[in-house]
Amino acid sequence: MSQRAPDNALDRTLAALADPHRRQVINLLRERPRPAGELAREVGLAPPAMSRHLRTLRQSGLVEESSPDFDARVRVYALRAEPMIELLRWLEETERLWSAQLTAFRDYLAKDRPPAIDLASAPEEDPRP
Amino acid sequence: MSSRILVALRVPATPDRAFEAFTAEIGAWWRANPLFAFTPRGPGVLSFEPGPDGRLPEGRLIETLPSGKVFEIGKVRVWEPPYRLVFGWRQAAFAPGQDTQVEVTFEAVGQETRVTVQHSGWDTVPADHVAKHSFPEPIFLRRHAEWWQGLLASFKMAVGE
Repeated sequence: MSQRAPDNALDRTLAALADPHRRQVINLLRERPRPAGELAREVGLAPPAMSRHLRTLRQSGLVEESSPDFDARVRVYALRAEPMIELLRWLEETERLWSAQLTAFRDYLAKDRPPAIDLASAPEEDPRP
Repeated sequence: MSSRILVALRVPATPDRAFEAFTAEIGAWWRANPLFAFTPRGPGVLSFEPGPDGRLPEGRLIETLPSGKVFEIGKVRVWEPPYRLVFGWRQAAFAPGQDTQVEVTFEAVGQETRVTVQHSGWDTVPADHVAKHSFPEPIFLRRHAEWWQGLLASFKMAVGE
């Protein structure tokens, strides 16, 4: 199904974002791309631990790494917008869906409104204050 | 929170009638949406199916497909007529264990009723991981929500919306 891929991608996005250290990394990368060493220092993690988190973020597609031309040993991490755009799309589709459904619901009630029955079918004990 | 949508509309009915129509008559007013199918084999007819002993608070929202097969959209989580209704929401394309939740509230406004739908998307997915970090869940969700808000806002600007 065409929906499967983006939904699994969303799953990965959210799993990657479920960790507080990784969210800190994303926050730092929102300001600007940064090298791995700087991220480890800022977040307060040992470089190997940071490497593991960066790998997870890379696999989720949330960040990408590159090396500056002047030094191939330095790895710089930057944010990728695509996974978040998938999430936004889902939210927007869902909002459109409910707007349409609630409009259909209102039209249905407007058409089928049985004024006499509204009162007659009210429960005997009204729980409202 | 931003990974949640909120849509509200006034309907010409009392909360009692609106709650009843929303639940017992959902099959009559729900519009199948090809862009948002629960399963690729749909669309079918939606209904709230009572649980054991005909108890609706333990029921579920299902879609009965043309083939007669039943797809469970979600279980009823809160059933408080005529004020509040909460149920789970899954589309067939969701990954296993992935879940979203819909909360519908009914509030009298004069002769009419304001129906509010809140669809919380995906929060349950990170919440599943919460235990591993021993975050108290409400605090986690609140922080998480604030964080989402900022992040989504910046991405919305980035995509020019």
